[in-house]
Amino acid sequence: MKSTDLYQGKHHKWIVFGRDQGKSEKIIDTNQYMIVTNQQTMLLDPGGIELFSAMLAGILSHTELDKVTTLFASHQDPDIISSLGLWDKTIPKAKLYAPWLWEGFIRHFGMDNIEYKSIPDEGQELRLDSVTFRFIPAHFLHSSGNFHVYDPEAKILMSGDIGAALEEPDAPMFVEDFARHADKMRYFHQRWMPSNSAKKNWIARVRELEIDMMAPQHGRIFKGEAVQEFLEWFDNLEVGIVNS
Amino acid sequence: MDSIRKHPEIKCFVTVATIVAQLEVILTEAKSLSLTSKNARVVAIRAGEAALGFKSITNFINEFSGRTIQTTEHINLHASQLFKLALHHLRASQLEQHLAKSLTILDHPESKKLYSVAASHVKDAMVALKHELQNLQWQFEEIEQQMRAAEYIAVTSRVEASQAGEFCASLESVSDYISSAAMRIKGAIETNLNTLDELERVFK
Repeated sequence: MKSTDLYQGKHHKWIVFGRDQGKSEKIIDTNQYMIVTNQQTMLLDPGGIELFSAMLAGILSHTELDKVTTLFASHQDPDIISSLGLWDKTIPKAKLYAPWLWEGFIRHFGMDNIEYKSIPDEGQELRLDSVTFRFIPAHFLHSSGNFHVYDPEAKILMSGDIGAALEEPDAPMFVEDFARHADKMRYFHQRWMPSNSAKKNWIARVRELEIDMMAPQHGRIFKGEAVQEFLEWFDNLEVGIVNS
Repeated sequence: MDSIRKHPEIKCFVTVATIVAQLEVILTEAKSLSLTSKNARVVAIRAGEAALGFKSITNFINEFSGRTIQTTEHINLHASQLFKLALHHLRASQLEQHLAKSLTILDHPESKKLYSVAASHVKDAMVALKHELQNLQWQFEEIEQQMRAAEYIAVTSRVEASQAGEFCASLESVSDYISSAAMRIKGAIETNLNTLDELERVFK
C-alpha cells in the first residue's frame, strides 16, 4: 500500500494510505488517513478487513502501535470499518469515534475491547495532544449518520465519500485537472448521494471553513483551487439520480 | 473440501450449525416418545390385568425419554457456548492470518510480537473448543446408550402387547413407534458423531 505525507506541521502530521496494489480487483480502492500528534495517532476510516494487513504494515512504518489511541469511522459501510474486529484485538485500548446512529450496527464487525464513543448529530470537537479536530456533520451524504473531520490547523477536510471518484488503483493521489476529473466523480455523486437539500446545507457550512486540502475516502485529493472548483461543481450537480 | 481443510475454523462453524440442527430432531422425537408413553399407560390401565407388564414398561419409556429430553436440552444450552467458542476461534485465526500477511509486507518487531500473541490465542481457542466438542461427544454417546435401552424395551413391550387381548393392536403400534423413534434418534446421533469425527480429522 502506498503512503503519502499530506501535511507536516509543528504539532502533527497527516498521512494517506491508498492505491493498494495487493487488493482484490473487485474491491473498491480506498484512502485511509492517519494523523500523528506528539503522543497519539488517529486513523480515519481505517478501511475494510481485506486491507488490515497492509494497513498494519503501513502504520508500523510511521508510528508505534500503542500510540494508536483513536479510530474514526465516518459511517457504517464495510469499506470504512469492517476491519474493526481485527483492530479490536490489535489495539484493544483504543477509542472509536463514530456516529451515534450506527453503534448497534458497527458493533456487528466485532468489538469486545475498543470503546465506542458516539458522535452526536451536531458533531463535536476532539483534542489529541495539543491539536483540536472537528467532526463536521454530513448526514445523508451519503449515509444518514455521517461525519467528516476538519483540522483547522492543517486546513484539511477529510470529506468521506464527498469528492470520491471511482478510479484505477494506480491513479495519481491528487487532482491535477479538475475538468477531466469531474467525469470520474459524476456518477458516484449522483447515485450515492440521495439528497440535494443535504448537499446544499453541507456546501454552505463547508464554504465557511478555511480549506487547503479536501481529502475523500476514494479517489484523488483536492488541493488549493481544486477545492473551490469542487464545491462549485457539486453545488450545480443534481444528486439522487439513478440513471445518469 | 479443500477450502475447509485450509480454513478448519470455518468447518467448525458449519459443524456446530449441523449439530444444532440435528438436536431439534432428537428433541422432537424424545418429546413424542414421552407423550406416547403417557398415552400407552392410559391404554394399559384400560386393558387391566391383560396389560400389567406393558404398564410397567411405560414407566421405563417415560424415564428414558425424559432423560433424553434433559440431555438434549443441556446440549442445546451448550450450543450457544459452542458457537461463541467457534466464533472466538474464527476471529483469532483470522487475526493470525492477517498478521502473518502483514509480516510478509513489513518484518517489524511489533508485528512479530502481535503474531506470536495471536498464535497463542488461536491455540488456546482451539483447546477450549476441542474440550467443549469432547463433552458434546460424551453427551451424544449417553443418548446413544439410552436409545439402545429403548430398542430393548421396544422388543419386550411387543411381547407384552401380544398378551393384551383386544388392546394388542394399539399397544403393538406403541412398540413399533418406540422402535422407529429410537432409530431416528440414533440416526441423528450418528450423523452428529460422524460430523464430530470429521471435524477432528480436519483439525489434525
